[in-house]
Amino acid sequence: MYIKLLCVLLYVGSCLANVDDTSVLPEGFVDATQRSTHTNNWAVLVDASRFWFNYRHVANVLSIYRSVKRLGIPDSQIILMIADDMACNPRNPRPGQVYNNANQHLNVYGDDVEVDYRGYEVTVENFVRLLTGRTQNGTARSKKLLSEAGSNVLIYLTGHGGDGFLKFQDSEEITSQELADGIQQMWEKKRYNELFFMVDTCQAASLYEKFTSPNVLAVASSLVGEDSLSHHVDPSIGVYMIDRYTFYALEFLEKVQPFSKRTIGDFLQVCPKRVCISTVGVRKDLYRRDPNKVLITDFFGAIRPTRVSTDRINVTLANEDDFIVSTAASKKPSFRIIIEPQFPTKFFQLKKLRSM
Amino acid sequence: MGLLSDPSLPTQNKFVVSLAKHVRKLCYAIYLLGVVWFCCLALPEFNHSTYLSENALSPGLVYPEIRIDAHRLAVQLLEELQRERQDHRSTTPHAWIAAKFRELGLETHIHNYTLRYPFGGGKEFHGKNVYGILRAPRIGSTEGVVFSAPYRAPSSVHVDLAPSVPLLMAFADFARRKNYWAKDLIFLVTEQEQLGMQAWLEAYHEGDRSDDGLSANKYLWAGNLPARAGSLQAALNIEVQDLSDIEYVDVKIEGLNGKLPNLDMFNLVQRIMAKEGLTSGYKQAHKQQLLKKRRRQSSSNYELNLQRMVTMLLSQSSGVPTGNHGLFHRYRIDALTITASKRQQSHHKSNSNSAAALLKAIEGIARSLNNLLERFHQSFFFYVIINNDRYISIGDYMPALMAMVASIFIKAYLTWSSLASAGKPTPYGSVMIYLTASLMIGYLGNVLPLQPYFLELPLSAAPLTTCTVASLTIIGIVMPFVVILPPGGLELLHIALLLIYGCSLIVIGLLNFALGFFVGLVTVPLIIALNPIEQQKTNPLSFITFLLNPLIVIYGIVLVMTFYQFPELSIQNILLRAASASMDASAFALIDSVIYGNWLYFAVCTAFLPLWIVTWSLALSKRRLIFRHIDEDMEDLDEIDGLLEEDAADQNKLKTN
Repeated sequence: MYIKLLCVLLYVGSCLANVDDTSVLPEGFVDATQRSTHTNNWAVLVDASRFWFNYRHVANVLSIYRSVKRLGIPDSQIILMIADDMACNPRNPRPGQVYNNANQHLNVYGDDVEVDYRGYEVTVENFVRLLTGRTQNGTARSKKLLSEAGSNVLIYLTGHGGDGFLKFQDSEEITSQELADGIQQMWEKKRYNELFFMVDTCQAASLYEKFTSPNVLAVASSLVGEDSLSHHVDPSIGVYMIDRYTFYALEFLEKVQPFSKRTIGDFLQVCPKRVCISTVGVRKDLYRRDPNKVLITDFFGAIRPTRVSTDRINVTLANEDDFIVSTAASKKPSFRIIIEPQFPTKFFQLKKLRSM
Repeated sequence: MGLLSDPSLPTQNKFVVSLAKHVRKLCYAIYLLGVVWFCCLALPEFNHSTYLSENALSPGLVYPEIRIDAHRLAVQLLEELQRERQDHRSTTPHAWIAAKFRELGLETHIHNYTLRYPFGGGKEFHGKNVYGILRAPRIGSTEGVVFSAPYRAPSSVHVDLAPSVPLLMAFADFARRKNYWAKDLIFLVTEQEQLGMQAWLEAYHEGDRSDDGLSANKYLWAGNLPARAGSLQAALNIEVQDLSDIEYVDVKIEGLNGKLPNLDMFNLVQRIMAKEGLTSGYKQAHKQQLLKKRRRQSSSNYELNLQRMVTMLLSQSSGVPTGNHGLFHRYRIDALTITASKRQQSHHKSNSNSAAALLKAIEGIARSLNNLLERFHQSFFFYVIINNDRYISIGDYMPALMAMVASIFIKAYLTWSSLASAGKPTPYGSVMIYLTASLMIGYLGNVLPLQPYFLELPLSAAPLTTCTVASLTIIGIVMPFVVILPPGGLELLHIALLLIYGCSLIVIGLLNFALGFFVGLVTVPLIIALNPIEQQKTNPLSFITFLLNPLIVIYGIVLVMTFYQFPELSIQNILLRAASASMDASAFALIDSVIYGNWLYFAVCTAFLPLWIVTWSLALSKRRLIFRHIDEDMEDLDEIDGLLEEDAADQNKLKTN
């Protein structure tokens, strides 16, 4: 009896002591939750600010674009929104080029940039429609986020922000509540498996504060009340080249190869306060996995989890016969298709005859 | 007046009545408040340090790329120009300038204009401006920036500015090699001082509007331009006295009718000049003199600030631009002039700069202006510069003028309420006619000198204008002796004067604060002191009023200026010289108003002269002698009512007389 009681006490005590300790959970389950389950990758990269003196924001977004493309996400799965054209701005002394530093080592504009939303198309409305999949009829396929329940989505935003909003163009702004609602709707519509939200603006952390949807990992270049600063000026162009956070993020990503074992946990460390000046904010509470075990290519690349098997595998369907029977049983309804001639060609033929 | 004359309202408000007794004290107090407020503005607590509001400018983010060879080119071009100038003593070497522009690869055009001088039987003057356009390489020609330099012939009476044109060309040569221009750059060389600039601007903006080829301006035929460069966003007028030894750069901002360029533009120039190590600033010439003086006598910072404020307002008040930049303001183009001054004493070798630094500064300014996305709009258009890095905004200086005007309106109300309570007759009609007559006199001053009959007289502009205005003034002086208003008319005229005067002061103050403020400063005390009821035969007010006649004021100002400029002359000489100079001044004001659109002459004739005539009539307060008894009877009644002690006192005085 006493022994039984002692056991219970011990058990309760150990439970209290290790509330978060996953070691009490079955190892297989822990592994399963930490393993990536995505089937494809999407990226939504947004530069929300226009004007020549905001050159750096375009350099920011193009830096991330360059990285995700290099790591394997195809252009068809990258939605790039750029509010102004810096590469072809008449003030750019180097036409068709956008650099991330004054030494012009890295032309982030590259040779083949596919901009999906450009100039005045970059609006809050278009952005929210894109996220939630409520694009207007007739929207080109390249302008749609066609993600599903197995997609890992990377959302990157840059521009001028404030406490609780991000300015789009020079006329409107998206609030953190609108953003949180959009992402909640994405979750409800099964438009993502995991979502990595990255934002580089002033007071960036205010943008992810309202999030409630699961499986969202968010990182922001600055906390509320802080400014995100630019890295340096190119005195031959006369503008600020790039923002600090993205500059260091790009520096990190440049070293990542498609089969790299670097984790998101490493990525969250890229810009310590001593170089960033602002404090990088991270929100992990909605995310079930340990960032230190998540590969960076889960979001920035297109590496899907694959399993090599040497065993014999039965590829036939479990109830294949039933399936065939059921499809055969369902008789197709008979219908006729009448194809109207698209052009009344016979009239022309008649005319021709007459004239002849 | 509906509210004031509403019989249901108790006009006998005790408060108003008791205030009405102290009308003058109250008004003087408010006036003083305005003056004290103005003086306070010079204190550092009342003004602000300047800052750049326009992000797009991003000044000083670029390294200057212009090299010393640009300076060498300027020196070489100057030598060539000096050779040309030997053959063109009083004309402009247009061919040389145009040839050089073409050589530099600019789209070069020559603009012809004609001035039909209306006075003395009419004469025609012809002039030519040369301009070259550097088209922006990768954008349509929708916007442009002007870089201009005035050309002065060697025979000119003004300071020699020959190096300006070579410097402009050296910069154009540099700019042509760059591919980052987002706006067309216009390099403009004007002649005949402001006339050339005015003609060019008029041709640029209105040249293609008139179908028959005649310009909108009757006297200046600007013609049309063969090529344009879209809407002009900003302009920089460059005046250089020397290429090798520049002591300081004077930044001139006052434009036509006291308009100013956006404060951002001034700050931009200041910041870039400082970056290139050039001593520059607003009224820098004046400052340099002070610096030299200051070694001997030191004056406090506050005094200096106040002095600078007043100097700026004084130069704004005439409405005459201080440089060619001033005419751009008319077309809502922000512009200023930078004048690089030659070092006077060559032995003093500290702080010396060659034009290379100036070229770098011009490049920096050009690149910042190139970054502009829209016209200057962020910062102030109305400001007073105290120091190169401190300014007063319109919100801070306007209360000074408003306090002055408020005292006038308060006086008008209190006088009206006491008048209503006195139950005097109100001859609206005759007062109206009197006012109209004085306004008519002012209107004639505006119109008469430009009538064909007058223009055909073999008189030059100065005597013609002065004679016209003087004769109109004499009519005004005589008017109160000839036309005497019925009883109660003077009191009503007094109120009308207060209202019109207050309104015109507000309007003038809004259009040109400096002018409004100085007129208010001088005349408001007189208007407050004015009281037609109390007038006696020998009063100092009429004398003061006489002194404040616009013509006499002009003469006074010119006299003081002559005295300061030529202190060596004898008194008689100064008086004579001032007389002829003030005649010239009035003629110039008229010419300015018809050619450039300066409205100082118009304001003096339309507002100040009629107001003066009315004030003069009130100061004399001529009453009809026949009606004096009736007047007294009325005032007896007042005494019985015991409503207005002031009137009683007046009446007692009359009795003793």
